[in-house]
Amino acid sequence: MMKKVTKAILQDAASRLMFSLSDDQLDLLLIEFDILIQQMELIGHLENVDQVEPMTFPFEVSVDMMRSDEPSEPLTQSEALANASSKVAGQIKLPKVV
Amino acid sequence: MHYLDLTILEIHDALVAKKVTPKELVLEALKRAKANDDQAFEMITEDVALAQVEALGEPEVDNPFWGIPFVLKDNFSTQGLETTASSDILNGYIPLFDATVYHKLKQAKAILIGKTTLDELAMGGSGTTGHKGNTYNPFDPLHERQVGGSSSGSAASVAAGIVPLGLGSDTGDSVRKPASYAGLVGFKPTWGLISRYGLFPFAPSLDHVAFFTRSVLDAALTHDVLQGHDSHDATSYPGKKESLFPQLKGDVKGLKIAIIKEVMDSMIDAEIKEQFYVTVSKLKNLGAMVEEVSFPLPLLKAIYPTYITISCCEATSNNANLDGIKFGPGFPSKTYIEAMTQARSQGFSELIKRRFVIGSFALLKENQDVLFIRAQKARRMIVNALNKLYDNFDIIYLPASPSTAPKFNDAADKLSSTYLIADSHLALGNFAGLPSITLPIGMKQGLPYGANVMGRAFEEKTTLNVALAIESMMGLKNLKAPRD
Repeated sequence: MMKKVTKAILQDAASRLMFSLSDDQLDLLLIEFDILIQQMELIGHLENVDQVEPMTFPFEVSVDMMRSDEPSEPLTQSEALANASSKVAGQIKLPKVV
Repeated sequence: MHYLDLTILEIHDALVAKKVTPKELVLEALKRAKANDDQAFEMITEDVALAQVEALGEPEVDNPFWGIPFVLKDNFSTQGLETTASSDILNGYIPLFDATVYHKLKQAKAILIGKTTLDELAMGGSGTTGHKGNTYNPFDPLHERQVGGSSSGSAASVAAGIVPLGLGSDTGDSVRKPASYAGLVGFKPTWGLISRYGLFPFAPSLDHVAFFTRSVLDAALTHDVLQGHDSHDATSYPGKKESLFPQLKGDVKGLKIAIIKEVMDSMIDAEIKEQFYVTVSKLKNLGAMVEEVSFPLPLLKAIYPTYITISCCEATSNNANLDGIKFGPGFPSKTYIEAMTQARSQGFSELIKRRFVIGSFALLKENQDVLFIRAQKARRMIVNALNKLYDNFDIIYLPASPSTAPKFNDAADKLSSTYLIADSHLALGNFAGLPSITLPIGMKQGLPYGANVMGRAFEEKTTLNVALAIESMMGLKNLKAPRD
């Protein structure tokens, strides 16, 4: 059974996604959820919808070959660190965890 | 007239005949890009363009992209050039490698003029949600109208005559809808034919590389240079490459073309509908067999919610790597959780956050069956019905949008309960991965509008032949917004 959508649930989802949402945005999101869930309920009424396999890609592509075993250059340390805003001693620096 | 105003094919002839030099073209393109006020650019790549043009040797007769200026949507990775996907969370991010499509165009000696604006992370259809604000439709000098999205800046640059080629990405209709609003050809080949390596993923089961040109033959040339297997992209098609350009004759005799009645019924603009039927009569005169057929209405109504659910779920998951730590602007914080939360709270716009919450909620274990998995099942049913239609027809042909470019309004990109089937049907091509091309068929009060031709998977030749026939009949080739 699907959870009933409430502001608290949406706030919780946002915090698990690691961002904050303003009260206005939560209100708008509640309206959007109402619309989406009504539409998804209509989809639930499509004849035999639960008898078909979920489709995860446009068509079946089976790749039965292995790529050739060619050596390639990985990123250098300085390249891997190039975009990090905070680094120390050749590593990305994070706030202390424990 | 400047040579830059021509199509790729025509510019190529002029370059080979030395009527114009690549440098003259590039300088004119840079001048127009700088003067443009449609908010089409994240970045004008002047230094890159000038260096590339200086490195060109003699004209290459058999290479139509030699010296041709082009633009890239800013969700394609470009080594050494900031790439943000119009999102603040990627401000300052400089990729370490080139997207395969950029690499191929560089190899072909085409010249990058700029990186273009988009709806943030390509998740939108209005060209209003990128971090630079609205992108404007060059056909409306008053700046009241959208050019559409998400590939808004690429559409605007080609429509404004800055370049003859703009690359974009298309997950629901993000190239083919703006093409309709901007009088352009917008082509999305079969899923897998063009490598997506280096394209920021939005919803990989639906994402395609696509592009804007100002003629069907230019679209064929672009397909030919970009296609091909790429071991860097696990979903890249490993089969044989087929060049389209030499094969296109615009022959439609004997082809069976379907028009979906329910989509036509939902068209709101009588003039566009009428003009569409003019093109149908002309196709019949050329020997095509055109028939109006019915498609199950509940399935057509299911396109929009199915698309929203699947795309939000895939996007939520794909963008989990945007943490502001490995790349993007960092925020000094006491804990890594605080660092990530700050980066994501300040880096994503409100729209993106709402879409991610929808995706995350639909992926919750207790909700998956009735939301995400059910949307995937609906997708299967829609594609099954589509393939059944293709048992009897070669092509599905429809108006590409229900109207000309809409005005900016508050409703853009909020979920709506009153959407039109005629506004969402292009996603059929993404659900089934089909070749799909939009091209202009008319003008209304100075604004262009287009039609869309969609073929069976891997049947780009048939698809483009029909498009070429329509282009020839209607004479709407190389459309550009009038210049001052």
